[in-house]
Amino acid sequence: MKDVVISGYSETPFSRARVDKGEPRLTAEEYYAWALELLLQNTGLEKKDLKGQGVGVIGSEWPHSEIWSAEVVQNLGLEPKFLVRADHGGANAAALLVQGAFAIHAGFVEHFLLIGADAPLSITAPGSRTWRYEEDYMKPFGTMGPNSMIAMVMRRYMHQHNAKPEHFGKISITQRQHASLNPNAYLKKPLTMEEYLNSRLISDPLRLLDICIWVNGGFALLLSRRDRAKEITDKPVSILGFGEWHNPEAENQLKDITTTGIKIAAEQAYKMAGKRPSDMKFFQPYDDYTVAVLMQLEEAGFCSKGEGGRFIEQTDISHRGDLPVNTSGGQLSAGQAGMAGGFLHIVEAVRQIRGEAGERQVKDANIGLVTALGGLAFGGTFIHNYAIILGGE
Amino acid sequence: MTGYAKPLPEITDLTKPLWEASKRGELVIQKCKKCSHMQWYPRHSCVNCASREMEWIKVSGKGRVYSFTIARQVIGNSPEFQKDIPFVVAEIDLEEGVRLYSNVVGVNPDDVKIGMQVEVTFEECTPEISLPKFKPAKT
Ligand SMILES: [Zn+2]
Repeated sequence: MKDVVISGYSETPFSRARVDKGEPRLTAEEYYAWALELLLQNTGLEKKDLKGQGVGVIGSEWPHSEIWSAEVVQNLGLEPKFLVRADHGGANAAALLVQGAFAIHAGFVEHFLLIGADAPLSITAPGSRTWRYEEDYMKPFGTMGPNSMIAMVMRRYMHQHNAKPEHFGKISITQRQHASLNPNAYLKKPLTMEEYLNSRLISDPLRLLDICIWVNGGFALLLSRRDRAKEITDKPVSILGFGEWHNPEAENQLKDITTTGIKIAAEQAYKMAGKRPSDMKFFQPYDDYTVAVLMQLEEAGFCSKGEGGRFIEQTDISHRGDLPVNTSGGQLSAGQAGMAGGFLHIVEAVRQIRGEAGERQVKDANIGLVTALGGLAFGGTFIHNYAIILGGE
Repeated sequence: MTGYAKPLPEITDLTKPLWEASKRGELVIQKCKKCSHMQWYPRHSCVNCASREMEWIKVSGKGRVYSFTIARQVIGNSPEFQKDIPFVVAEIDLEEGVRLYSNVVGVNPDDVKIGMQVEVTFEECTPEISLPKFKPAKT
């Protein structure tokens, strides 16, 4: 990869946190901030020059300082197009370098920032535990993880775009109908609107049936070089396009929480694939909550912003309909296998394209869109946003 | 004030000025010395320009409810919140242009509305920590 070079570097002074010797006792978070500031000084770049580029962060071996990529970009105000984390111990930097080089070589980004920090000698220092923004500025007020945050998204969405509970209900009911045709799904019993509306309020206006159901489960996918794939299958599924965006509107302290970064990710994916929303035979949107599906229908271009409710009302989103949505039942009904939950949508897309979806098979399903969301944002929606277009031969 | 059993923020070198101000009944947020950007939650650097030179500024404590939820069930937080149910968790947009998570208190949860004007009020939880909460603004 002669087209990729290292163009800058930084390094903070080191410390063993011997306060008695006048050494600083800083946390990993502080070292991340310091390393970035130094890199900008050394290269003459401004933070905005890194917007839409690549970022790689490292996983620490210390559970107390298990910094996630979402946390690092949110703390530092970075807004990358491409974001990876290495969990390769001593080979963290090398692993990131290789991934970054691939991304640049492929033309996906022009710069890739590798940033790594750890503070094993500050384990007991105040603030050394991570997720400070949730521990200090959310939980003391009784926020209850994603349910509270998405309930606020839902309330705001209903306020801003006149959505009704029945709109969310139709998503829940249709996905359950799909699950009833999926032998692997956890919840298979069909639902009525009445059952949806009577399901109990967990975090008003969020109902039980707006929320995905946690399950145990596993998935695998295999990627191969096209010529080698012929030895394995006569039904290869192509990655026609993809896009991603992280920590959208990084600097904005008053984000519109009825939006996600899927709009940016999907535009990249459509462009790479040379396709339009109307070309998609199905949509497998990430569905931790019903409102996430509604927002993504808009942002993936199936209807305009704020029209999601009306679109749901007028569109058959079943596997036989105009735009089949989450044909596996999704995480709402098939189940969310913990942190592996996002495999569900990709596996289902592959199944549909290969024509192996049984009773819920979508007709002529030779191309479709999958999205993924991750990492709830402070005062926003999601840090990580992905769109992938898959297609058959 | 003994026996406060709900989660509390940790006081660190970074956040000491914040919690000391709260104790005095003042709400402060971070402002970047280099580019004047204001931000909440507190961080070690400016999300706008990445400078580590941040200062604390006192704000009005006035704002509006951007969105809210009424907690009906305790999941994923201290069981101590059970006795408060139903209670309002809200996103409050301050006049100065930052968004906080907090509670809207001193009003029936069913009467809280998006856009409602609120002002800060502090709940003394322990001698060290007073939490900024919000009540309907005096008209
Ligand atoms: Zn700044």
